[in-house]
Amino acid sequence: MSAKLFKGAEYLISEVSSADVFTPEDFSDEQRQIGATTEQFVLNEVLPHREEIEHHNLPLTVELMKKCGELGLLMIDAPEEYGGLELDKATSMLAAEKLAQAGSFSVTYSAHTGIGTLPLVYYGTKEQKEKYLGKIISGEWIAAYCLTEPGSGSDALGAAATATLSPDGRHYILNGTKQFITNGGIANLYTVFAKIDKQHFTGFLVERTTEGLSVGAEENKMGVRGSSTTQIILEDAMVPVENLLGEIGKGHKIAFNVLNVGRFKLGAGATGAAKRAITEGVRYANERKAFGVPIATFGAIQEKIADQTAAIFASESVVYRLAGLIDDRLATIPKETPDYYEAYQEGIEEYSIECAIAKVFCSEMLADTVDAVVQIHGGYGFIQEYAAEGYYRDERINRIWEGTNEINRLLIPGIILKRAMKGEIPLQKEAMKAFESLMSPSFDELDDSLPFAAEKALLANLKQAFLVLAGSGVQKFMNTIKDEQEILLAVADVAINIFAIESAILRAEKILPALSDSRKASIRAAVKVFTFNGSEKTASAARRAAYYIEEGDTLTMLLAGIRRFTRYDATGLLQAKRQLASASIAAEKYIF
Amino acid sequence: MKILVCIKQVPDMESRFKANSQGVWFEETDLAFRMNEYDEYAVEQAVQLKEQLGDAPEVTVLSIGPDRVVEAIKKALAMGCDRGVHVQDPAAATRDPWQIASIIASHAGDKGYDLILTGMQSQDRGSAQVGVTVAEELGYACATTLVGFAFSDGTVTAKRELEGGIKGVVRLRTPALVTCQLGLNVPRYPTLPNIMKAKKKEIQTIAVAELLKEEPLATTVSFHPPARKGGGIVLEGDVGVLVDQLLGILKDKTAVLR
Repeated sequence: MSAKLFKGAEYLISEVSSADVFTPEDFSDEQRQIGATTEQFVLNEVLPHREEIEHHNLPLTVELMKKCGELGLLMIDAPEEYGGLELDKATSMLAAEKLAQAGSFSVTYSAHTGIGTLPLVYYGTKEQKEKYLGKIISGEWIAAYCLTEPGSGSDALGAAATATLSPDGRHYILNGTKQFITNGGIANLYTVFAKIDKQHFTGFLVERTTEGLSVGAEENKMGVRGSSTTQIILEDAMVPVENLLGEIGKGHKIAFNVLNVGRFKLGAGATGAAKRAITEGVRYANERKAFGVPIATFGAIQEKIADQTAAIFASESVVYRLAGLIDDRLATIPKETPDYYEAYQEGIEEYSIECAIAKVFCSEMLADTVDAVVQIHGGYGFIQEYAAEGYYRDERINRIWEGTNEINRLLIPGIILKRAMKGEIPLQKEAMKAFESLMSPSFDELDDSLPFAAEKALLANLKQAFLVLAGSGVQKFMNTIKDEQEILLAVADVAINIFAIESAILRAEKILPALSDSRKASIRAAVKVFTFNGSEKTASAARRAAYYIEEGDTLTMLLAGIRRFTRYDATGLLQAKRQLASASIAAEKYIF
Repeated sequence: MKILVCIKQVPDMESRFKANSQGVWFEETDLAFRMNEYDEYAVEQAVQLKEQLGDAPEVTVLSIGPDRVVEAIKKALAMGCDRGVHVQDPAAATRDPWQIASIIASHAGDKGYDLILTGMQSQDRGSAQVGVTVAEELGYACATTLVGFAFSDGTVTAKRELEGGIKGVVRLRTPALVTCQLGLNVPRYPTLPNIMKAKKKEIQTIAVAELLKEEPLATTVSFHPPARKGGGIVLEGDVGVLVDQLLGILKDKTAVLR
């Protein structure tokens, strides 16, 4: 556990120390073993059947889910009193990360353990949990989550599905169609959202055998083809009143809170998928010869390997830092609290900004990685026999589901502003200070004796840039800023990159002392490469925001400030990339 | 009934090895370690026997080495062993098989184990001496390279792998020691609930000085990769000439035609 309990988004206005972040190097022996069991399961039981799974052998998928159940992989997040393990988020994310190497199967797993199981865990009554949870964590039953409809996706609350109490008061009669339901064709229990009396958005637990519930045809998808995706059609489906989940009219709480964890878990999964993809890319680069030598000897290939290795290092750092933040906060809630899961939800919601960051950053990192891996493969990357082709197709959905990356980006400044209005984050005050430093630059010399001094100075400056931009935006547009989506997207990019760069630097600083000299060199190289790439992206996003917000002299001043705030001396960048590439090529895998 | 399983933690065999600065063992820095594969068969067999006998036997798992070997002990506990013994020895890699066997024998001497299981050999040093030497020191019956195992009424029926795929079956009265080979069983994955339960199992730490009384009998002189082989020979020309050339080479330089 870390030294200080941080609030959500607090990283943007304060300095965080390396002692305050959780890293993958902090895993306990038990967590490592759980990771090993998960990985062995994937390598020995799932991947040998990859072809069959991709060709939609769903009974095999169901069988493998039962095996997951036997190993305990479905009970990580479930409470002990119902036979679960109730482990921390770090462990849950580690399992999700390892499972993600399994491609389509990991989609089945994630949907089941995440959005499928968690609504019941968080909002179910004792009776509901006793009835269903045991079946779900053993893999006897598969779970699915039905929110999206043909006419509503990002605007989930615009759902058209309805629920009407039956005349005898014993059932709700559900009508409507749910779209793109992961596990739709194999699930036994659906968490369905519908509006009671066309008004009160509410969750229901609906069994597969419910009369009036039918499953649509399997969708023919671009990627993750082996997973089941169908419509769920409700025609006067009679759902017992005792299967209402949570409170009437409070379905949005279930829908959105569960998505926080879902987004976070997607980040962990993307990280695992990227590790597998880059390993494949490096192996191919060692094997494939051009001009008489392995293509891994070429700088053009090495640069891709270095950039993506550094990005995956950052991605891992983001995921487990966030796990630490959430675990630390949840650990402060006594288990015997009567409304434990309410406090628990609030604990997670505190980090909804960071959950959105993890979702966007990790999914886009994966997109870059699989693109680089296809490119390393050349023409063979375009051929289905090669795994790279599948990684490329499977990646795409991650930027769409669990809230599109646009929706998640909009959420970031949106929530920050809301909290600032409520006085939870002193944004106004800090923005004022940042404006002052914009006018009066300091010329403090860097203390090079401190680890990552240049990177930390950059971080402090990037936070100033964020505050200046957010402050300018609010000043200019006041309450209508929420409608200026292009500005919000750009500001979100600044916030996302700051969190990622900071996570990478703090992890590196924390683990460095215990490492061998060669590992130290690789870690330093990763930090340099990622900080450079990240600062360039941040600078571009910040300039975009400045052009959108301001004009004239103020714009000129803002641009000058951005230039200063995003300056990073990356001397030795080329050597760093070559160092990182050669370590990866020697190990033939993701090295951290 | 009391069972002892001896396990070793070895480097991941897919690692790239290089000699250490003394040139007598590999450099351990940055290597990932795991349980010796053959020892996993030993652990699995012990746990299966425990299950067969209705949980009655107590299974102890022992490992010698620096602190990192506790991770391997914990895995064995998560697979179903009852308690662990960690013989704390940062210099374990420098010991010869005689010393390692002596350490185990001096621990086991007064414990009254009915059955001891080890791997057939370690994947790194590969001496295959430790198990048999322990049996000799303790005066136990011993069978090696097991590919089949049965136990009833104090008797072990062991199926052994002999040369050329031939199998042999031996019976041993306990106390006995057996060494385990690939094919004996399929080691289970530690399940998540068992990993968490194993946290509560006892691991006793013993300093190696308390158990090690013997001097080494053998010293490793050198550790090095094999010399690089020369490149192949490419023969070119008419088929008739090629055949003569090839026959000549096979006669002079190989045993193929003798």
